[in-house]
Amino acid sequence: METVLSIQNLTKRYGRLTAVNNLTLNVEKGSVFGILGPNGSGKTTTLGILLDVINKTSGDFTWFGAPPTKAVRKRIGAILETPIFYPYLSAAKNLEIVAEIKDAPKANIDPVLEKVELLDRRNDKFRTYSLGMKQRLSIASALICDPEVMILDEPTNGLDPQGIAEIRTLIQQIASEGKTIILASHLLDEVQKVCSHFCVLKKGTLLHSGSVDEIGKGPVTVEVDAVGEQIESVLKSWDKAIDVKLEDGYYQVKLTDGCTAQDLNVHLFDQGLIATHLLTQKKSLEKQFLELLAESENA
Amino acid sequence: MLKLLRIDLLKLANYKAFWVLNGLYALLIVGIPAGVIEFLKWLKSAGAEFDGFDPMKIPILHFPDIWQNITYVYTFLKVFLAIIIVISISNEFTYKTVRQNIIDGMSRLDFLKSKLLTILMVSMGSAVLVFLTGLITGALYTPDMAFADMFSEIEFVFAYFLDLFAFLTFSFLLTVILKRSALTVFILLIYRPVEWIIIINLPTAIEGIGQYFPLQAMSNMIEVPFPKYIFQEINDDVNTTMVGVVIAWICLFVYAIYAKLKSSDL
Ligand SMILES: Nc1ncnc2c1ncn2[C@@H]1O[C@H](COP(=O)(O)OP(=O)(O)OP(=O)(O)O)[C@@H](O)[C@H]1O
Ligand SMILES: [Mg+2]
Repeated sequence: METVLSIQNLTKRYGRLTAVNNLTLNVEKGSVFGILGPNGSGKTTTLGILLDVINKTSGDFTWFGAPPTKAVRKRIGAILETPIFYPYLSAAKNLEIVAEIKDAPKANIDPVLEKVELLDRRNDKFRTYSLGMKQRLSIASALICDPEVMILDEPTNGLDPQGIAEIRTLIQQIASEGKTIILASHLLDEVQKVCSHFCVLKKGTLLHSGSVDEIGKGPVTVEVDAVGEQIESVLKSWDKAIDVKLEDGYYQVKLTDGCTAQDLNVHLFDQGLIATHLLTQKKSLEKQFLELLAESENA
Repeated sequence: MLKLLRIDLLKLANYKAFWVLNGLYALLIVGIPAGVIEFLKWLKSAGAEFDGFDPMKIPILHFPDIWQNITYVYTFLKVFLAIIIVISISNEFTYKTVRQNIIDGMSRLDFLKSKLLTILMVSMGSAVLVFLTGLITGALYTPDMAFADMFSEIEFVFAYFLDLFAFLTFSFLLTVILKRSALTVFILLIYRPVEWIIIINLPTAIEGIGQYFPLQAMSNMIEVPFPKYIFQEINDDVNTTMVGVVIAWICLFVYAIYAKLKSSDL
């Protein structure tokens, strides 16, 4: 696998505050890489350094295996934090400036505006746009150079639910073209839906980095109920059940690694019980995220 | 290079304030000589007594005196253009568009170049306008035209250009340091008086360095021309030492802008 971005021991200090702390990370070509972390964990700072608007304190990074230059940035479509445009210029004029900087053909302007559904507003001044429209325009601007890598910092900020779904589709579509996407977001559900890899930062330190598929691995928890009084003792005495809890009227049974809801069902049946409710709890990114943060708190 | 200028002009193309203010400045340039003539005519028609002297005969707008006279007066208008430059550059910081420009693929040096090219264009455009205004006004009012005389003091137009370019670059530097337009304009306006107060209070041992201070050096290039109509003491060359000093200041300003852009988080 080709590495698009490689970060080694990157550190950024603001006086006594360490915003990014000795970060080492690789992003592979074609992956959709989610950067997660609570507010102030250093996501924007990291992306700012990668895009040369923030000076690093120490450490290194390479894009496409080479040290960063402005030529590399022309191949990257990026938005950081909030949409930034000239308020007194129209959307089309603003994109013209971006195209000029990125050496992208002007003919790309209308298609990208079309893609984010702003074509009919192309001649309106940026300052007259709504927050969601501004957000869409910044995505259009990131797409204008047909980028190999997209960096999106909170791209769905301020969008309506339909807009969020559209951005999700857009990201998936871009990713399916083999492009690499780096996405900082607080919407864990969205990240889980679109990302192939993710990392978690806290106070500038990397807590975890891995693939999204791995989240589902490990012991599963099954929610169950059955007719009969003795269910609790049957579950508790079963050697495959690590933990049994009664929550919201259902038993939450954590199984040993490798066991599934099927094994549980078979066991109940063998004990003469019929399950009336059986649901494998899907482990969510959100859960994993909160666990990682909690772990780091205890450590 | 041209591409960088084009980018900056795209930013300014629909920025009305920029063009309105530039247009007003151009009107002032063209209007002042006409105003002077009207004033002299009025003096004459009002029957002012100058011991039988005709005010229209003062060769203020005659070749070649005109070059020094008008450029000297015009250097007082440069603050006007500087305010336009300060506002248009500080906008890039308040809107954070400079940050997006870098993200999109400009280098900090590119940003500097694109702004400097606009400043150069404004300064050159202004110098051309001054040249044309001088040429037409001179041609209208010089009683006996000799071709050699027309251009013998043309170097004052160059000095005017250099003065303007240096001052606008200085404004660019202040903007990059201070970022906010109102503050920058305020500092720009009080800078000259402050520099002057420092100069007149310099200890005698180092008094001589006063003339090399940036704005002092700029104004020393074109010396006050009008006393010569009273004392007959001619002082009609551009001060070449000061031209050198001003060029050195421009280089220093540009370097300081570069260093400041390079070291700051945008
Ligand atoms: N210019 C600055 N000067 C001082 N501290 C800063 C500056 N910019 C950021 N910080 C600090 O660096 C830390 C990381 O900020 P950053 O914006 O990278 O967080 P983030 O992960 O993007 O947060 P969010 O989720 O809220 O966007 C914060 O503690 C912040 O206060
Ligand atoms: Mg952020």
